[in-house]
Amino acid sequence: MNQAEVSKLVSKLRIKVPPKHRKLPNPKGPEGRLDKLRKTVTGLIKYERIELNYNRADEARQYAERLISEAIRHGDCHKPTMDTANFWLLEKELVHKLFKVLVPRFENSSVAYTKLYNAPKPQYARVLDKAVLELKGNPYPELGNKQTNNKYFIQNILLDAAKHEYRQAKYAEVANKIGQAGNETSPVNTENAEKLNEKPMSS
Amino acid sequence: MALAIRRSTSDIFCAAKWFIRRDCRVLSTLPEKAEVEVATVTKKEKHIRTRGSRNSALENRFVYPEFLPDPNPNWRNSLREKLERADMLKRRNQIDIPEFYVGSILAVTVADQHSQGKTNKFVGICIERKGCGLRAEFTLRNVVDHQGIEVRYDLYDPTIQIIQVLRLEKRLDEKLFYLRDALPEYSTFPFDMDPEILPEGTPVPLNPVQVKLKPRPWLERWERQDLKGVSNIEEHLKEKDRVRRELRATPWEKYDLMKQYRQTIPIEDQNDIWAEVNSQLQQLHMTRKKMSRKRTFSTPKTQLG
Repeated sequence: MNQAEVSKLVSKLRIKVPPKHRKLPNPKGPEGRLDKLRKTVTGLIKYERIELNYNRADEARQYAERLISEAIRHGDCHKPTMDTANFWLLEKELVHKLFKVLVPRFENSSVAYTKLYNAPKPQYARVLDKAVLELKGNPYPELGNKQTNNKYFIQNILLDAAKHEYRQAKYAEVANKIGQAGNETSPVNTENAEKLNEKPMSS
Repeated sequence: MALAIRRSTSDIFCAAKWFIRRDCRVLSTLPEKAEVEVATVTKKEKHIRTRGSRNSALENRFVYPEFLPDPNPNWRNSLREKLERADMLKRRNQIDIPEFYVGSILAVTVADQHSQGKTNKFVGICIERKGCGLRAEFTLRNVVDHQGIEVRYDLYDPTIQIIQVLRLEKRLDEKLFYLRDALPEYSTFPFDMDPEILPEGTPVPLNPVQVKLKPRPWLERWERQDLKGVSNIEEHLKEKDRVRRELRATPWEKYDLMKQYRQTIPIEDQNDIWAEVNSQLQQLHMTRKKMSRKRTFSTPKTQLG
């Protein structure tokens, strides 16, 4: 049974926070864990999209979210926040990026500042889960495919090609039949040919 | 110039901050500087006003910390927390649980069927406050007949009859367990102590007293705890202890943002809680104030009689 710490006020994170931290085991203990996470957070702020192991990505994501929310909450004139940014960002030009680029970008956002994707991994392979961690509003093309109606999607191109092939085959069949019927000339056959002609066009 | 200020106040605000930080008064001409200062002042005032209006309820967290739930999400239960808060308010309607902090001196009277007069009064300094909800508790410490005594009370215990604050003050540390190893005069308080009344509206005073520890052995390794309220800790240390203190230091912990986050209740959750209980707490506070005023008027009569 604990009492909540009241000396500090923090904004609520918009991501799911697990009840316990991951240890990210290493010989240097908790200090080494933070060192690992510092490198990851620095990389995330610098490159805006990184691919790494899932555990470390999920852990680093929480710290990156906290860092950005602190920067938004206190601004760049608050000394403890500046110290924290200085600790977490190993390259010092990124401190400027945090306060001058990321804070204006996320100031009015009502959702999380980062996004975590599960990355693909080889089937039946014993490898760690991979993930892609990115800052929202980054300049790279989107990873998720939300626009399923796009005609340039590979699935849609293949489907169109298959439809086209099917139609061509039918036309050839009908043309053959007409060619055979031309010798005998019966009206029923021509009607059938018209119906066949309409079907693939409508589908 | 004025128009320019109105259009891009934020830019000029940044510039002003830079100026103030660097103190580059030589670079700026006088009229410009004056305007810039006005802009900064208005911004700052706005900031303070918004903060004040937003934080009036949030300030409750210092006075009523037990109304905040346990930050461990495994032990959270929104329904239970809500019911507990209602029960706490009901109990506060029954007896006056005053504002007090670690370091304040309290007198607590509990019902005790075995004592003469069926009540038992204990006076001491509050060395710890912990727990949340109905299980909130505090510990009082005193030295009686050269023997250190500590009594732990549940804040919402129904057998408690009176909680009286004899001296309202804070100390330099969050917990005062080091009084157990300090000289006894620092935790000795007479049982017939008179309550000291603070004038209304004054902030809670901070007592900057630094205690002297007895020589070792100690109950805990005080040298590793970064205590501000102890003056002579270095006297009792050997070289070995200093080396181990360095080895065991965790200077990175203050940057562990998620550790801090897991120890606190976020501001959005707190707003919900204080919105629920704030009006009732304010009402209770006002009624207690009126009652105390009445009591002060009645005391001279009894002295005359």
